[in-house]
Parts: sequence; C-alpha cells; structure tokens
Amino acid sequence: MAKLAQERIAPRLFTSRGEPAEVHPVLNVLVGLLLAIVLIPFVYLLIRALDKPLPEIAELLFRGKTLEVLATTAVLLIIVVAVNIFLGTLISAGLHFVRVPKAHVLIVASVLPLAIPSYVFTYTWLALFPSLSGVLAAAFVLILTTLPYMFLAISVSLRRIDNSFIEVARTLGQSRRQIFFRVILPQIRGSISAGALLSGLYVLSDFGAVSLLNVETLTVSIQNMFKSSYDRSAASVISLLLILASVAFIAADERIKDKKAKENVFKRTYTQDARISSIRLKSLVLIVVGIYTTLAVIVPFYVLISRFISNPNPIDVSGLIAASVSTISVSALGAAIALLFSAPLGFLIASHAGRFSRFSERIILVGHALPGVVIGLALVSLGSKLGPIYQSVFLLAFAYALLFLAKAVASMTFSLQLVPPVLKEVAATLGKSKTKISTSVVFPIALPSIGLGTLLVFLTAMKELPATLMLRPTGMDTLATQIWSYASINRFNDAAPYALLLVLIAAVPTFLLSMPQEESSSNSKPSGSSVGSLV
Amino acid sequence: MRKAIKAFVVASAAIVAASVMTGCSGSNEQATNPTEITVYSGRSEEFIAPFFAQWEEASGIKLNIRYGDSAELAAQILEEGSNSPADLFLSQDAGSLGAVARENLFIELPADVAANIPAEYVAANRNWVGVTGRARVFAYNPDLLKVLPTSVVELTNASYKGKLGIAPSNASFQAFVTALVNAQGADFAQEWLEGLKANDVRIYAKNSAIVEAIDKKEIAIGLVNHYYIWEVSEGLGREINVKNGFFKPGDLGNMINVSGAGVLASSKKYAAAQDLINFLTSQKIQEEFVSQTHEYSLLSGATAPAGLPLMSEIGAPTVDLDALKNIQVTQDLLVKVGLL
Repeated sequence: MAKLAQERIAPRLFTSRGEPAEVHPVLNVLVGLLLAIVLIPFVYLLIRALDKPLPEIAELLFRGKTLEVLATTAVLLIIVVAVNIFLGTLISAGLHFVRVPKAHVLIVASVLPLAIPSYVFTYTWLALFPSLSGVLAAAFVLILTTLPYMFLAISVSLRRIDNSFIEVARTLGQSRRQIFFRVILPQIRGSISAGALLSGLYVLSDFGAVSLLNVETLTVSIQNMFKSSYDRSAASVISLLLILASVAFIAADERIKDKKAKENVFKRTYTQDARISSIRLKSLVLIVVGIYTTLAVIVPFYVLISRFISNPNPIDVSGLIAASVSTISVSALGAAIALLFSAPLGFLIASHAGRFSRFSERIILVGHALPGVVIGLALVSLGSKLGPIYQSVFLLAFAYALLFLAKAVASMTFSLQLVPPVLKEVAATLGKSKTKISTSVVFPIALPSIGLGTLLVFLTAMKELPATLMLRPTGMDTLATQIWSYASINRFNDAAPYALLLVLIAAVPTFLLSMPQEESSSNSKPSGSSVGSLV
Repeated sequence: MRKAIKAFVVASAAIVAASVMTGCSGSNEQATNPTEITVYSGRSEEFIAPFFAQWEEASGIKLNIRYGDSAELAAQILEEGSNSPADLFLSQDAGSLGAVARENLFIELPADVAANIPAEYVAANRNWVGVTGRARVFAYNPDLLKVLPTSVVELTNASYKGKLGIAPSNASFQAFVTALVNAQGADFAQEWLEGLKANDVRIYAKNSAIVEAIDKKEIAIGLVNHYYIWEVSEGLGREINVKNGFFKPGDLGNMINVSGAGVLASSKKYAAAQDLINFLTSQKIQEEFVSQTHEYSLLSGATAPAGLPLMSEIGAPTVDLDALKNIQVTQDLLVKVGLL
C-alpha cells in the first residue's frame, strides 16, 4: 500500500535512484517485530484450521456452497469497485475542474459519509424500505459507504496534476474529452487503483451491511460458522480463503495499475481560471453530487433524527456520555498504537524500498481484509492467556491498531516521503546531527499528514463493532456496542441517540480529513489531504 | 535484513508458542466470600439488567456483566477455554449452552441448584439449567388468516403459497428444524423444507422482521417465537395487528426452547454463581419474567404471559434440548434445499 503511495502519489523527489539509502539495523529489527505482531491472526487461523483433517478442509473448500459464497463475494466486490471508480472519478474530477458553486461545501458533504458505519447506513435504509435485501441492495449500501475513499484518493492526485500539460494539450487543439482521457486519466490512474483497493478490501471485510441485507459473503460465512455451528476450524478455513481472495484482489489491482505512471516532479502553476464553466457539466456535477449526498448523508440523518425525535423513552444522558467517553478514549489509544507501530515500517519504506519492506506492507494490506471477528477471536485466544491484559482497554486498542494498521502505515510512508532528501542532505552537509535533522527538518514537514492518518484510524476505530464486542472490558459500553444492543432487540428509537452521537463525533475527524492541507513553502511538497495516500 | 528476519522468526515463534500453550493450569480452589462475579449474558441488557440488579442488592456481590450475542459469547468461551474470566454463562438458547457443555467447560450443577426446574428443561448431566421458556408459535394477521393451521407440516399446502414467512438464518428456526430432524429424520425435514420452498415461502433475516411483515400484510403467517409480538410492538411504540397461534397439541411446531445458564468449570466462585441461578429460577423472579419480558416461567403451575395459554396447555412436544446443539446437519440441509 505504501509502495503504491510512493509510486503513484508521492514520487520520491530528488532521490538518486539505484542507490538505496543506508538503513539502520534497529529499523529492520523493529519492522521484524511489527511483522510478528501483524501475523498473530494469521498464525491463529492456521492453528485453528489445522484442527481439521486435510480431506475435510478440502471438502469444505470445494463444496458448492463455498464456491457460491466466493462468487457472491466477487460479484459484490466487482459491482462496488466498478461503480466507485466511475462515480469517484466523476465527482472528484467534476468538483476539481468544473466551476461549481460552493465546491468546498460539496467536498465536505461527499466525504461526510465516512462518519457513518455501514450498519447504521443499512439500518436507516431498512427503516425506509424494510424489504431491501440481496446483492444489489448490499452493493448500494457499500457504495454509499466506500465512495469517499475513492473520492479522496482521486482528489489528492488531481490537485497535483501539472496544469501546464493540460494547457499544452489545449493549445494543440485537443477536445475536453481527449484531454481527460489522454492527459488527466493517466495521471490519476494510480490513485483510482488505490481507491479501488481500499473500497474492495472494505467490501471483503464488511459484516454489518451484508448480513443485514441477507447476502452471504465470505465474511458472513465466517461469522455464521462461528455462530451457528460453533465450528471454529471451519470458520478458520474460510478465513484463509478470504485471505487468498484478498491476495488475488491486491495482485489484480497491482496488475491493472499503470506501473509507468507519469511522475510530475514539480508542482507547477495552478490557476483557478483553468476551471470549466460549461452549464451542462456544471449541472451534471451538481446533480450527481446532489444525489450522492442525499442518499448517503441526508437520508441517514433524516431517519436518525426522526427516530430520535419520535423516541418516547427518556434519554439516558449519563449512558450517552459514558459511551462517548469510552469510544473516544479507546479509539484514540488505538490510533496512537497504530501510529507507533507504523513508524518503523514507514521509515523503512521511505528511506529504502526493498523486498523486505514490500513484503511487510503487503502482509499488512492483506490483513486489512480480515473481518473484525477474526482479529477479535485471535486476540481472545492469545489474550485470555495473558492474565490482566485480557479484556482491558489496552487489548481492545491493540486490536484497533491491528485492524487498521494498513491505513496508518500508508499515511506514515506518504508523509515521510514528502520530505525531499535534498533537504536532509543539505542539513547533513551543514553539520547537523541525525537527531537534529529529524527534529528540525523531517518532522515539521511530515507531521501534518501523519496526524491526518492517525485521525483516520481513530475514525474507523470508533465505528468498529465485532472486535469491540469481544475484547472490550466487561461492563464497558461504546457507542457502537450500545447501537448494537438496542438494535438487536428492535429498539431502533432507543438506538437512535447513540447512532446520531457516533455520527456527529465521527464527523469531526471526517471534516478535518476533507480539508485540503495548506500548501507549505516548499514547492516540492505535494498538496492535498494525505488521506489519498492511505489507499 | 538478516537481523530483521531473525527477529521476525524469534518473535513469531514466541507468539505461536504463546497461543499454543494452554496457559497456567489453574487449581480449582474456590474463593470464599467473593465480592464480585463475572457473567457472560446472551440475554439483552434491556430485559435482564433489572434482575441482575436485584440479585446484586440481595447478595451484596457485584456483577461484572458482559453482554453479547449468545452464540458469539459461546465461541468466545470456547476460545478462552480454562482461562475464561466468566463465572456464569446465561444464554438465549439451549444450542449455545450445549456447545459449551460439549467441550466440558461447565461444572455439573449440584442437585439443590434450580431444583424446582422440571428435568425436561435441564441438561441430562446437569451441565446447564433452563431459566425461561420460549414457545415456537405461528404469528398471523387475523384479517388475512381465518382458518388456522393445525400442524406445522400443513404449511406446505397450496393455501399458504406465498403467504408464509420464515427466518432460516435465525438460531430459533434452526433449533426447530434440528428438533424436526431429531424427531422425524433428515429426509422428512428435507422434504418439508423443499415443500416450503416450492410453496414460495418468504425469507426474512429475523423473527421481528416477520412479525412486522405480518402487521403490514406482506404475508399472512410466520414461524417465530411467542414474545416477538411484544418486542416489535414495543419497538414501534404502537399496537400491531398480529396474533400468536399454536398448532394441535404435541405438534413439533409448538416446541419450547429455553434460555438457560451454566457455571464455568474454570470459575473459582461456584457458590455465588449457583446462587444467582437459584435466584433467577426462584418463584418470585420467574413470575417477574412472565409479566415483564413476556417469557414463560419453567416452574410447573406457573401463569402464562398475558393472552397466552398455560405452558401445560400448549401441548408442547417432548424435545431433547441437549440434542439441539447438533445444528450442523440442519445447516447443511438448509443449504442443500437453498434456504440458506
């Protein structure tokens, strides 16, 4: 993932290619440790799966049902990713190139759905259309949920497109359509594939939307096996299949992406005047963004607020506050651990992208497709042997870090690559020590995007449910567990305050994520939110 | 690079070793006068918390309660094994209790624990005891269904074509099918399920969705547990036009499943956990379950939830609740027929 960031989003500026920078051995050891931590769920799955004799494993893998589930998963994945690519490109290019009124408001509105967990989306849509079910319904909800990832990724690379190319193409008499397909598309292809990767992995690991809509994907199968037959080894076998599926998906994605993406080393002139004022395009963009935000923001808010208002029961204010405090604190701790974990690998990749670092980041990426229930049970298995750590806030935060590490690593790598090596070299020739270089040169430049990456982990952790249910300290409620608790007994009105509060709290980091970063004085620094790098 | 690999191998090996290790073998020395015990509760907080609070007050012992889905909590207990922090597991259904019992993670309850619960609602080896009863019924819309079915087998008749709703992914439906398999054999069950499928049966994700669909006249009748009428009506905040019906006495469609509890073998607080079971099965609390959560009391001679026949009058079939944990056959069957 971070490699993707490196190749597509943050070309290594000024690096003398072919001469890998020297890597401190401690860094390699730290990455090795990180990898060992990341592999915990994989090891757990292998041990559990091998409880079954091999013929039984083979039988399970090749029975018709498994193939059917695999096919359902693939169909869902392809629909969501394909529609996301189309809509994501349309919306981000539209908001970037077309002069639409209140573009910044529309940008925030297009990112805001990130604050809404997929199960809340599904509950709100089911409240309006109770008969909603099936693959198409699931695709619809998952598109609503994951489109912001695609939108953010593409927006970042659009902001970095060299306008002079477009101007040259225009003077050569190319039409808008030709410019889009010949000049713009090749430059954003990398981030399209990156956005596809993140939304695809989301589809693979999602449980909330698909289970509520009666679609049996691999993740639902895994959960069902844990639940209804208590067959942990069968569930583990299917989890390993899910890992294979995500490996295949990641490989496919790497194949599709253009390896020789044009790198524009310098960000050149960027003029607002280049924006298109065509009424037709303007209305097209407004209509598409309008429909998306209506479906993904206004409808859920409308349902939540009307449920909230029609709730006849008194609201448990102290319960709401307690759940919010624990949600925020444990998610923040999880984000901090993810930040800590991602640092060594980020440094390694930013300074030296070798085989080892590439292997490490792919493992982390594959782990991103694992559903929360698998990470949850792996840590139950290991954690229950560790005494007081088990069912502590720390273990839950650790689970969040493990679940969402891929996001933190990508952001870390991206951020560190923002620092032009020439700056470090200059500092070094000026006789600055390594520590001094880090504190006075590297961190000031990289810090803002690292912060945003951490925010994204924080945001995702707040919405997490299955691992939270298993690992939270006994008696601790989060907003997500309270929503589950009421929704499981059909008290949607009672769940509404918690859902509304979760979405409102999550909207704060989401809002920050949608803000383009300030251009720094260094003209080599790519602008744009770092979230695009997370994919 | 080499160092990294070495570090990675060492660390992985340590973690693998840790996860394979069975942990420190705990002695079963029982703590005297514990100040708190831990309960894993598959029963919803909304319904059960007031009862737990009453026991805390009566016993002076604090409860740490972990709420979750019964089956997920069972999976968690299986994973924790002898290291489980739980002292008591309270489950929505007998199947989850059976899964924990199968791995020998429950103690055999002394005869004086829940002694008033009839033997048919207690595991044969006293690994767990039933706490409340939940009857399978057919829920129906009285405007749409004038002639009521007398047996669950009849539902494959053409008169119910497209009118019946079921929730095949739901644990309570699967428990019923398991009972059907156990009583009549897998072939019979398969034929019945195929009959439903051919009869254009409507599939829902949950019991509550079936009840809502009946209220909205999408369907006329559905197979659910008896208490969903209250749950849905309370959730919607209004009366609904749905009634519970029972089949003829002895019909499997009238099966009674239980929520129940067992004490974990790894617990060091057997006595307190058993006291909680005695409390939940006491006359007073059983009556409160009937009036407050609309469940059946398991005590003989107990009153029924408002508007329902006494449990003794339902004509419930004799079902071995212990055997309901063999749900794999049922699932394979549902998959084969194409309902799951």
